[in-house]
Amino acid sequence: MAPSGTVADPPQCSTTDSFNSSDTAENDIRPFFVLHKASSGNHNGKLTGIVKSKRRIESPSPKIAKRSEVESVEEEDGQFFSTLRFKVFETVWSKIEKTIEDVLRNSNSKVFSGIHDWIRESFESIISSGALKLSEAVRSYPVLTQASSKQLLTAMVLTRNLEMVDDLLTFEELELHLKSQGCHVAKLSSMDFSAKSGVGGCLRGLLRQFVMPTVDVADVTILASWYRENKNHENPVVIIVDDTERCCGPVLSDLILILSEWAIKVPIFLIMGVSTAHDAPRKILSVNALQRLCATRFTLSSPAERMDAVLKAVFLKPCSGFTVSHKVALFMRSYFLCQDGTLTSFVRTLKIACLQHFSLEPLSIMLEHFCHDGVNQLSGEGTELLTEATMKHAFDLPSVTRNKITRSTFEMLPHFLLDLQRMPNPWSIVVLCLYEAGKFDKLRLLDIFCEILDPEARYLKYFSPSEIVNSQSHNSGRNNVIRRVLRKLRDLSPSQLSSMLKSWENLTAEFTEINDKVIELHPFMRAVEAAGQRQGLPNSPKKHASRSNSKLEKELKAMTDKVATVIEFMLREYMKPVESVPFHEILCFKNVDKLQSALLGDPRGRIQLDLLESHDILHCVCCSQRGTTLLPSMHDTSILYKLAQEHADVINLHDWYQSFKTILIPRSSKAKQKSKSSSKSKKRKEICEEPEAPAEALIQARFCRAVMELQITGLIRMPSKRRPDFVQRVAFGS
Amino acid sequence: MEDIENIEEDEYGFSRNYFLAKELGGASKRSAHKLSDIHIVDEQELRETASTIEMKHSKEISELMSDYKTMYSKWVFELRCGFGLLMYGFGSKKALVEDFASASLTDYSVVVINGYLPSVNLKQVLLALAELLSELLKCKRKSSGSLSKGQETFPSRSMDDILSFLHGPQSGDKDCFICVVVHNIDGPALRDPESQQTLARLSSCSHIRLVASIDHVNAPLLWDKKMVHKQFNWLWHHVPTFAPYNVEGVFFPLVLAQGSTAQTAKTAAIVLQSLTPNGQNVFKILAEYQLSHPDEDGMPTDDLYSASRERFFVSSQVTLNSHLTEFKDHELVKTKRNSDGQECLNIPLTSDAIRQLLLDLNQ
Repeated sequence: MAPSGTVADPPQCSTTDSFNSSDTAENDIRPFFVLHKASSGNHNGKLTGIVKSKRRIESPSPKIAKRSEVESVEEEDGQFFSTLRFKVFETVWSKIEKTIEDVLRNSNSKVFSGIHDWIRESFESIISSGALKLSEAVRSYPVLTQASSKQLLTAMVLTRNLEMVDDLLTFEELELHLKSQGCHVAKLSSMDFSAKSGVGGCLRGLLRQFVMPTVDVADVTILASWYRENKNHENPVVIIVDDTERCCGPVLSDLILILSEWAIKVPIFLIMGVSTAHDAPRKILSVNALQRLCATRFTLSSPAERMDAVLKAVFLKPCSGFTVSHKVALFMRSYFLCQDGTLTSFVRTLKIACLQHFSLEPLSIMLEHFCHDGVNQLSGEGTELLTEATMKHAFDLPSVTRNKITRSTFEMLPHFLLDLQRMPNPWSIVVLCLYEAGKFDKLRLLDIFCEILDPEARYLKYFSPSEIVNSQSHNSGRNNVIRRVLRKLRDLSPSQLSSMLKSWENLTAEFTEINDKVIELHPFMRAVEAAGQRQGLPNSPKKHASRSNSKLEKELKAMTDKVATVIEFMLREYMKPVESVPFHEILCFKNVDKLQSALLGDPRGRIQLDLLESHDILHCVCCSQRGTTLLPSMHDTSILYKLAQEHADVINLHDWYQSFKTILIPRSSKAKQKSKSSSKSKKRKEICEEPEAPAEALIQARFCRAVMELQITGLIRMPSKRRPDFVQRVAFGS
Repeated sequence: MEDIENIEEDEYGFSRNYFLAKELGGASKRSAHKLSDIHIVDEQELRETASTIEMKHSKEISELMSDYKTMYSKWVFELRCGFGLLMYGFGSKKALVEDFASASLTDYSVVVINGYLPSVNLKQVLLALAELLSELLKCKRKSSGSLSKGQETFPSRSMDDILSFLHGPQSGDKDCFICVVVHNIDGPALRDPESQQTLARLSSCSHIRLVASIDHVNAPLLWDKKMVHKQFNWLWHHVPTFAPYNVEGVFFPLVLAQGSTAQTAKTAAIVLQSLTPNGQNVFKILAEYQLSHPDEDGMPTDDLYSASRERFFVSSQVTLNSHLTEFKDHELVKTKRNSDGQECLNIPLTSDAIRQLLLDLNQ
């Protein structure tokens, strides 16, 4: 939200007042202090109760925030974000969050149950090999001598993701899953395996999780005796180490050696998350420890796969109704691909987008109704929500004015809203159909999704005959996902075509218009299959078919032509990007700049820019007049930093000071200054209009202050003993 | 695709600037001017003057501040949604953040940590937070009518226990949290990885929300991806204030106040005055020798011993050594070997400074 600059507050705001008072001066030098305690209103959980009731009086329909009211409220008391808006955000976001969690859980469930089966089977085999008596089991002797009895059963879970962040949740889920199956589970992370606390630290951590949270000794016999208590021994003990590569190798090796000594008495299963390669443990563990491991490998799905699944569930299946514009999607994609690469950050980006949407768009609270499952909710309830003010705001939306919808079509609004709510369905079906087709070319849903949101795309041009020839002749269409889909279509083998048709049929089942078209393809498919069988080569790809296959080729050609026609039909009829629909602003977040600045702070660039272009931020009259020349009225640090730009990687303090002084002392008064420079007592004000030379001491003090401020921002390094007259520049260019 | 190109372009610009600057340094010889060529005023006066510097553009700055005031409600909304706020941009943000806290966060308890101070004990902060929270929860239970459990005292507990208490389950409404304001989360006392880990764990607690400010351009390097995405959960806000770093800068030395002759002579005099008269006299012998032999590397230790013994300032080599150790500790004297391999003592001050120092001592 850009500061409007029209605020009634006088300049002497409380910031400066509180800053100077003696009370805060004392607080400034305390390491920490309590600024204030919560006012009693919060204790009842009615945070904005006062505001809410106030609104009730003002507005006949408190359910919706009116724009005009909103504006006045914003100016009056800043309570722009009502409890209602917060509530709706909570509803919407928790829905999205839950969807994502479910998707991730599903994507891991196979691996999880695999791990559990492995634990069960191995546990049973250990038990059957020979149960120990209680007294034997809690003693550290007799020392077991058979090599096989010292093996520690280990599951290596390959995360296929270098970033650990995404897998934290995975391992938490795994912990819950195994606990629900009756296992005793403890989770350790690299923090527990520090060289500082040694193996004792992680043993303590284990005992705290297994036995009781107040244990403060590291003794593995406690674990053994605990295991024999109260039927604990009926279930296996599982230890999860989620980021093996980051653990301190020797400590982890020690733990493995200790636990393996007790392997028979306490059947322990070690689950190690490995993100780099399956031989990673070889690099960090000692040979002794490695010999004790009896490893089994499990592999999780890759981040890109999970990403596509999340995308599908959040945007293409009915979820919260919240969606993003083409530009935002492109930004999220490039952030995922170029900057971070973790699903966690993608989800965070989505949450920030959602938050920004709610804080920018007053009508966003209507999303609440999209969250509910019923389709026709709005028709009844929706109309009564529409107050005069909402209507005004709604009809001022750019998408509405662009489509020349006026107030005369007042009654149409519920219809449009209903359409919005229904709209994604055929659209998302088409996107998913394209995704199915694109899978043969290893296309990512993320790419398709980004392209398909483009409101200016003209897909149909790909179907013109010249374009088809073009696309076959050269490879320019790399960025163009839909063109790639169409091209790949012509290279598909009959079996691939038939599997694609099957998935299309399933996808379109709820939508008869498309479904009919898909079913119409069946006869062609049968013809292709028949032709293929006649040739005895039902699965050979088209390319390698011999000349004698001309019949099959002909049928295939007819088939692919037909499929292309169906795709054309789908694109033409249903591929209306959300941004071309009237009233889409209610559910579509579009402000990519806001998202970017909130997500990616750029202190390195921005702080330098602040200094180099200070007058743009301060909007002062005095400094912005004359282009690039330095004026004495500018901020001192800003002058100094601009001067620093002219120096090499080190700056001579003397020269720097002299040029700083030259700027501060205007040329006209320089002659006068020379005669007076000894009089230090004259401390004169420097005013923009009539700059008068400040005293030497003041210039020096201001120089010191400015250098200190540059040092705080980390833009320069102070003089060293070796180079006492120079400071070093740290940042070059913004 | 465009983004990738932009990034590449930025990186190209950055490296070009860097090499240009390096080239500039190599091609033209570095300026040989010395700081001592400037007539630097006394440190005392410098500090006094520094405190009287008038703020430029104070009108524009306070306008900027009141512009930010319009965003307070948005910030509260973001805090309630579970994000942490990270303020950056040039200028002290202390006043801004505290004003925000006292104006808009009245419904929540607010604890301020001054990260710019050289030492902050995070354990004590956690204790204070835990006590605040238990108070808050007690009030809540009372008002909702349920029985309050007996609370143990916190000081005996470990950091982990306190953190897990702060991360307790949210009862009913999600709005029960304490707001922690951290000025300069990149400050000297908090810059070590352990403090940052603790702060990250604190910020991920369900009953805690963080509002922090950074000033250093490289502050984000303090955090790894887990801290950024899972724990701090920052929302960045670019809020340059151009306000002077009054409190934040207190612990930084003044660049012009180091190494000036007057300054070192003065500090040396202060040190010497705290020594015994015999110690002072030994130093005087050394100083006079250095003044009369300006071309030599220094006074040989043996010569100093015999000269001091003659005048009954020291009785043995041991006493002389104890004086010398004292001098060396305060950097009043340095040892060197001259061309003959003799150990020589040298006062690392200019002749002028030594003369000044002798004058001060004789007063």
